[in-house]
Amino acid sequence: MNVGTAHSEVNPNTRVMNSRGMWLAYLLGIGLLHVILLSIPFVSVSVVWTLTNLIHNMCMYLLLHTVKGTPFETPDQGKARLLTHWEQMDYGVQFTASRKFLTITPIILYILTSFYTKYDGVHFIINTFSLLSVLIPKMPQLHGVRLFGINKY
Amino acid sequence: MIENSASKLLNGDTCLRTSNGKKSGRNGFVKKHCLHQQQKCHRPKEVSHIVGHNAVLYNKPFVESFEETPLLVAVLTYMGYGILTLFGYLRDFLRHWKIEKCRVASERDEQKDFVPLYQDFENFYTRNLYMRIRDNWNRPICSVPGAKMDVVERVTHDYNWTFEHTGTVLKNVINMGSYNYLGFAENTGPCADSAAEATVKYGVGVSGTRHEIGNLDKHEELEKLVARFLGVESSMAFGMGFATNSMNIPSLAGKGCLTLSDELNHASLVLGARLSGSTIRVFKHNNMQSLEKLLRDAIVHGQPRTHRPWKKIVILVEGIYSMEGSIVRLPEVIALKKKYKAYLYLDEAHSIGALGPRGRGVVDYFGVDPHDVDIMMGTFTKSFGASGGYIGGKKELIDYLRTHSHSAIYATSMSPPVAQQIITSMKCIMGEDGTTLGQERLRQLSENTTYFRRRLHEMGFIIYGNENSPVVPLMLYMPAKIGAFGREMLKRNIGIVVVGFPATPIIESRARFCVSAAHTKDMLDTALNAISEVGDLLQLKYSRRTRLSDDEEADHLSYLVSYED
Repeated sequence: MNVGTAHSEVNPNTRVMNSRGMWLAYLLGIGLLHVILLSIPFVSVSVVWTLTNLIHNMCMYLLLHTVKGTPFETPDQGKARLLTHWEQMDYGVQFTASRKFLTITPIILYILTSFYTKYDGVHFIINTFSLLSVLIPKMPQLHGVRLFGINKY
Repeated sequence: MIENSASKLLNGDTCLRTSNGKKSGRNGFVKKHCLHQQQKCHRPKEVSHIVGHNAVLYNKPFVESFEETPLLVAVLTYMGYGILTLFGYLRDFLRHWKIEKCRVASERDEQKDFVPLYQDFENFYTRNLYMRIRDNWNRPICSVPGAKMDVVERVTHDYNWTFEHTGTVLKNVINMGSYNYLGFAENTGPCADSAAEATVKYGVGVSGTRHEIGNLDKHEELEKLVARFLGVESSMAFGMGFATNSMNIPSLAGKGCLTLSDELNHASLVLGARLSGSTIRVFKHNNMQSLEKLLRDAIVHGQPRTHRPWKKIVILVEGIYSMEGSIVRLPEVIALKKKYKAYLYLDEAHSIGALGPRGRGVVDYFGVDPHDVDIMMGTFTKSFGASGGYIGGKKELIDYLRTHSHSAIYATSMSPPVAQQIITSMKCIMGEDGTTLGQERLRQLSENTTYFRRRLHEMGFIIYGNENSPVVPLMLYMPAKIGAFGREMLKRNIGIVVVGFPATPIIESRARFCVSAAHTKDMLDTALNAISEVGDLLQLKYSRRTRLSDDEEADHLSYLVSYED
C-alpha cells in the first residue's frame, strides 16, 4: 500500500508486534480467556488451566504459523505472500525483542499450568505436546521450512 | 539555561538531549527520549529546558510534539481491530458458503480451482474493514474546492458496496481537507481571468512533450519566474507533481550511489529512489543522529560488497511531512551535508508558499541560503492552486535534467492555462502584481495556523507536528472512530480527510486538517466548535498534557521540545 501511504514501510505487518501496547494487549487477552474459562461451572481448576494453555497455543499457532501473507496489498511484489506472520516479523531478523517475548510467554504459561494441574500425568502430556507445537516452529532453523508440504502455498 | 547531563555521540559531540516542559507529576504518559539511539538514557524527572548543542543553528524556537499514545487507548484499539478481524472471518465464511450474497467480483465457474484472484486474503482488509467506512472517501464535490465547497450527497442501501446520488447537494461545506494553503483555489479573481485568457490564446492541450514541439514560451516564462522565486539559478517545470519525483530521481542517482531517505517520505520519492537502482537506506523520521550514523557508516564502509567509495550520496527529505505535520530540521541537515559532502534533495510539496515570511518555503522559514540545497523540488498543486511540479538548482544541473529527464522526453508538458495560473499566483505572492494580496494571504495563513493549533491543543486533542505547520493531524486511534468522525463532521457541514491503517501505523489513525488562508476566523471557529462537539461525543480528547504558561515559554532563548514514539 505504498501509494497513498504516509511511510516507506513496505510491509506494515513486520512492525505490528512492536507497536505500543501490543504486548500488554496480548497479556490481557490471555487473562481474559482464562477468566472466561474460569467462569464455566463444574469445571475444575486443573482443567481450566489446561484448556487455557491449549486454546492459547492453538490460537497462537494459527495466527503466527498458519496464516500466510498480508491482509492488504504490499508493494513488494508478493515477497511475503508465502511467509507466515512469524517469518514476516522484523523482516526475518531473529531474536528480536518481540520474538523473544512471544517465545517466553507460552513457556511461562506452561510452567503456571503445570503448577496448577499439580503435575498430573495426563495433563502433563497434553500440555507438553501443546507447548512443543508452538515452540518448534519458532526455532530459527525452521524459518521458511514447510514439513511434508503442509501449508506450502 | 539549565544543562542536563548529555549523553555522548560517537565522536564526543554532545547529544541533543530533550525534555518536555511538563509538570513532573504526570510522568509516564509522555515519553522523554534522548534522540541518540545507541546509549540508554534515563528519563529526567525534573522540569528543565535544555539548550541543545545544535540550537545555535536555529533562529527561532523549533517546537514539535508527537505525544505518546495512551496505553489504554492502544489496548482498546487492538481490541477493536481484533473484533473487526473476527467478524471479517465470519463474513468471509458466510460468503464462501453462499449464506450471504457476495458482492465482490468473483471468478467464473471454470476458474474456481485456480488460485483465487478476487476473494483472496490480500483483499481481506479492503472488503471487511475499508468497505464499512468507505463513504468517508472519494466524496464527489461539485464546486471549486476553496474555503467552502458543495458536496454531492450520496446514500447507500447496501452498506457502502454501491452508492446512489440523491440529487441534493450539500452547500457551503467548510473545506478542511483541501491543500489550499494560500487560498488560490478560486474561480474568480486575477488568476482565473488570466488563466481564461491563456486558454483562449493557446488552447488547453499541448499535444507534445517538452522535447517535441511541446515547449511553449509560457513554460520558459514560468521557469524563469520559479527560479527567481526560489532564489536559484535555474529551474524546470513538469506537468505532474508525482512524476517530477519519480521521473527525475532516476536521472540523478543510479547504481553505485547511496540514497538516504527519511522514514516517512512520500510514495513518489520512494518510487523514484527504487527506480533509480541506487542503494536505499532509511533513517528515522527527522532524527539527525540516525542520519549522521548512516552517513558515517556509509562513508567508512563504502559500497556493500566491494567496499568501493560511493559515487554520490543523496539525502532525500521533505519540507513538511503531510501525515505528521512535522517540519524537517533543515539547518542540521545542511550542516551534516556539508560535513560529509553529500547532496541534498528537498521536496517542498507542502511547504512552498506555506512557510516562511515571504512564502518561499522551508528555506525561507529557517533563513538558510537557497544555494545550500542542491536540488529544490516542489509542486504547484498545494499553494498555487494549479498542478505540476518543478525542480530548481544550479544551471548545469537543470540543463542536464532538460536532456536526461524521463518526464521531459516522454510526458506531455504542462497545460498553458495551468502555467498561467502558476505565473499569476506566484507574482501575487511575490508582490509583483502591484497589490499586497500575497503578503496578506501569507500573514493570514500563519495566523490561522497558530490559532487553529492553539485552540485544538487547549481543547485537549492530541495533535502531531510542528506548531507552525498548516497541516494538522488529529489523532483518532480507534478504527470505528475513523468512520464516526468523518460522518459526524459531514453532518455538521464540515468536510475533512481521515486516514487509517495501513496508510499510517496500526494504532495511529488520524484526521488531517489543512488550514488555509481563505478560511476566515468565523469559519475556523465554526469548525473548531464542531470538532469540539464531536470530540466530546466520541471521547477524542486524549491529551494528558497541560499547556505551558506563556511566561515559561518566553524565558528561554530556544528550547527544543520533541518527542519520539
